[in-house]
Amino acid sequence: MARVYVSTVVNARNDRVWARVRDFNGLPNWHPAIGESRIEGGEPADKIGCVRDFRLRNGDRIREKLLGLSDFDMFCTYSILESPMGVENYVATLRLTPVTDGDKTFMEWSAEFDCAPERETELINNIGGGVFQGGFDALKRAFGG
Amino acid sequence: MPHIVKSTIVDAPTDRVWGVLRDFNGHDRWHPAVATSLIERAQSPDKIGCVRRFKLKDGSELREQLLALSDLEQSFSYCLLDTPIPMFNYVAHVRLLPVTDGDRTFWHWESRFTTRPDDARRITEMVAEQIYQAGFEAIRQHLKEAA
Repeated sequence: MARVYVSTVVNARNDRVWARVRDFNGLPNWHPAIGESRIEGGEPADKIGCVRDFRLRNGDRIREKLLGLSDFDMFCTYSILESPMGVENYVATLRLTPVTDGDKTFMEWSAEFDCAPERETELINNIGGGVFQGGFDALKRAFGG
Repeated sequence: MPHIVKSTIVDAPTDRVWGVLRDFNGHDRWHPAVATSLIERAQSPDKIGCVRRFKLKDGSELREQLLALSDLEQSFSYCLLDTPIPMFNYVAHVRLLPVTDGDRTFWHWESRFTTRPDDARRITEMVAEQIYQAGFEAIRQHLKEAA
């Protein structure tokens, strides 16, 4: 099983960062790679089990299911139902933890998945270095560091 | 039950920070509140259950027991056995997580304890600032001097 882990520090209080990222249908509002998103069946975006259907700016379509969401612990866990990436059993978690020293936010984004062995390195780099870090970089810009 | 949470970012990889923090008998080398430290019964400081005896700079003594230590998770937990201040059932957890963006360290230090209601606020502030926050600053200084 392949594992991806990236983390960063955003220069804003965790409740402000959480307000930005908690919306499971809100990726286009903060992630530069995501073009459009909708929740299937007209369900609320914080209903556990809801499915988001979104498109990357490159045209790829991905469907993901919300597995867990906590406003108390500030994390969101989801799985991929359908994607062109060639991954199986993909489960990812985005988690925020306060940095009390300076009122910042420690952000972790991790994923586990199965894939063809020869594609593992490429997928880890694309998901970690591309998608996750790309989201972090956009948030850091939005919050000034 | 008072709950203290303090966290910081250290501008060094987790392995370097862990190299200092993992020594349960090493606080006298970096923490400004600790004058001397020894492990009772000459046990190894990474033996779970070992007891460290601190003499603080103010002359008071306290004993703490190592409850858990993980090199994989870069975390440890300990409890207070004896202390001159009215803190009871004190259990603390330290863990380090990598900040991959910049190869830095997220350091999380938290504890829970019981005390008399009148003392809760004063003791919480004392531990949060003089022990945890002062410890953060001391490690930063310690790593700078070691570099």
